[in-house]
Amino acid sequence: MSALLEVQGLRVTIGSTAAVRGVSLSVNKGETHCLVGESGCGKSITALSVMGLLPKGSLRETQALRFAGEEIGRYDERQMERLRGDRMAMIFQEPMTSLNPAYTVGSQMTEVLRRHRGTPRAQAVDRAAELLARVGITAPGLRLGQYPHQLSGGLRQRVMIAMALMCDPELLIADEPTTALDVTVQAQILRLLAGIQKDLGLGILLITHDLGIVARIADRVSVMYAGEVVESAPTAALFAAPEHPYTRGLLSCVPVPGKVKRDEPLGSIPGVVPRIRPGFAGCGFRDRCSRASAACAGAIPRRNAGDSHEVLCTLEPGWGGKAAA
Amino acid sequence: MSDTAAIEVRGLRREFRVRQGMFAPAKHVVAVDDVSFSVPAGSVLGVVGESGCGKSTLARLILGLLEPSAGDVLVDGRRLGGMDRRARARLIQPVFQDPFASLNPRRRIRDIVAMPLIAQGDIGREDIARRVAEALDRVGLSQDQGTRFPAQLSGGQRQRVAIARALVLRPRIVVCDEPTSALDVSVQAQILNLLAELRRELGLTYLFISHNLAVVEHIATEVAVMYLGRIVERGESERLFAAPRHPYTRALLASVLTPEPGLGVPDVGLGDIMPDPANIPPGCRFHPRCPIAVARCSTEAPRPATDQAGLVECHLA
Ligand SMILES: Nc1ncnc2c1ncn2[C@@H]1O[C@H](COP(=O)(O)OP(=O)(O)O)[C@@H](O)[C@H]1O
Ligand SMILES: Nc1ncnc2c1ncn2[C@@H]1O[C@H](COP(=O)(O)OP(=O)(O)O)[C@@H](O)[C@H]1O
Ligand code: SF4
Ligand SMILES: [Mg+2]
Ligand SMILES: [Mg+2]
Repeated sequence: MSALLEVQGLRVTIGSTAAVRGVSLSVNKGETHCLVGESGCGKSITALSVMGLLPKGSLRETQALRFAGEEIGRYDERQMERLRGDRMAMIFQEPMTSLNPAYTVGSQMTEVLRRHRGTPRAQAVDRAAELLARVGITAPGLRLGQYPHQLSGGLRQRVMIAMALMCDPELLIADEPTTALDVTVQAQILRLLAGIQKDLGLGILLITHDLGIVARIADRVSVMYAGEVVESAPTAALFAAPEHPYTRGLLSCVPVPGKVKRDEPLGSIPGVVPRIRPGFAGCGFRDRCSRASAACAGAIPRRNAGDSHEVLCTLEPGWGGKAAA
Repeated sequence: MSDTAAIEVRGLRREFRVRQGMFAPAKHVVAVDDVSFSVPAGSVLGVVGESGCGKSTLARLILGLLEPSAGDVLVDGRRLGGMDRRARARLIQPVFQDPFASLNPRRRIRDIVAMPLIAQGDIGREDIARRVAEALDRVGLSQDQGTRFPAQLSGGQRQRVAIARALVLRPRIVVCDEPTSALDVSVQAQILNLLAELRRELGLTYLFISHNLAVVEHIATEVAVMYLGRIVERGESERLFAAPRHPYTRALLASVLTPEPGLGVPDVGLGDIMPDPANIPPGCRFHPRCPIAVARCSTEAPRPATDQAGLVECHLA
């Protein structure tokens, strides 16, 4: 199957920060690919690269950036604008990034359809109401006439999802869409996303720092650290046999009810995520890694650890035995 | 350990007057509504609930940073109202979520940690320097880091500073309000381990607020679940996690996404209505979202029922 989205060798430099350092990943139709890692690892910059929305002054290089088989790496701003909100859509942690406080929900939702498709107003309103109902909003008619600030955080996030779906996108990029929400609302929104994907068959690239979310909704996972994908695998394989010391460390840090007894310490990783400068060589994790050796300052091999399971590490796959903790 | 509860609150209530728009009439928000409990010395009471349910207000009432509208707070058996600020500071101290907001950016770390000692007014300079050095050491900061400014430290290190400042007067009780919510999971684990170690070594009592139930499960001996200002369930942590009695507690637990692949995202069954502290529903305040509500729930408010398993406030529990 050819991938819906294919990124190869993505590099982004912002000033003196090497934010993304050779990321390759792909998202198939109907697949949820999760990008996971702590803050500052380059997840958002990776997503923004795909959407052509990088901050000013960023330098982007790619070997390939294909969407639905077409190379979009050289698209100009006008061509990207035509794709965005239409065939590929993005939702953010803070819905107000995409919602304009000065317009009603209805006028913003219909505007997307009118701009991309020239759909007549009445028809666009019907579509908006239908999608609001689809995202679990009980009074769509009422909400269409309201302004974003009149909605709770959870409702705003539902509206943003509905708005992203207006043009039936093939690819949805969601950057920490539930991080600012209460856990109850988070579960509702994630369940909603999973349902929509099943119904509409779209590809989702979902960014999160939460391994719980990854386990529950991803088909495939890429773990990012310091601008690189350090491990990538089908979800079941990643949790059953995590290979990279960072993946294993991250898993051991997550409190899970009933797993670690009270008064026994959680696993932890010393130190913090570094900011990497251009020209950095070796493994970005080596200062925090309990397994680091002299070899870790040199070129790091990308190893095969099983069926489409790759690890960027000097250690031989299988070094630590079965699942981390 | 004495029999006196470290913290005891009785009929605690706090209202705020708020305007929801520039021209809207002022409304009463009851942020904490008739809350009573006691926390035995040496234990950890975890407080959970959605944002806006009154957790921080409860914390500030217990710290004496807010006046109650009604009710009492007793810390170590003594009434907080009217207690001297310095005496209070020796007894109970806070650790807040965002250390950056609570640390003066223009002061060096060691001066920030020294503040509570200086405020006591009767501690000599040498004593202060020694106790600051001790506190930094306790929380895993170097003396060299003590000479830096908050902006030069990472988020986790700043939270260590906040903890050092809270401990420098050797209080008995620490109120932690979302102490790890702003941190990455690897740093969160470092801080949780530190807090657990300090509690054991210094025999501290914690009131530990978090919206992350898994974090609370790990650290708390007892858990209180808040909903719109009231404690709707309370009980020993093991019991509450194994056999939740209130439908809201069950919904909260169901929404914890543990890193176990294949389980999918559960239906928490709460609908899309969000609680509004300025418009508390009649009857059981949870009824508009409750998946098991019956007719009685929308007219009659349930009263708290207490037994060996703790407290629960639901007609059907
Ligand atoms: N607008 C920007 N200007 C300068 N540096 C940035 C900007 N946005 C992100 N960065 C840097 O790029 C790196 C990756 O950031 P980001 O992709 O936002 O991480 P994540 O989403 O994983 O938390 C970080 O070191 C961050 O400081
Ligand atoms: N200083 C204040 N003035 C007015 N309203 C307040 C104030 N502090 C808290 N509130 C209100 O009290 C309720 C509970 O808030 P809070 O205790 O911060 O909840 P939590 O910490 O659980 O998120 C909210 O409705 C909030 O808006
Ligand atoms: S390459 Fe070396 S430093 Fe990096 S994760 Fe593997 S063992 Fe640790
Ligand atoms: Mg980000
Ligand atoms: Mg709070």
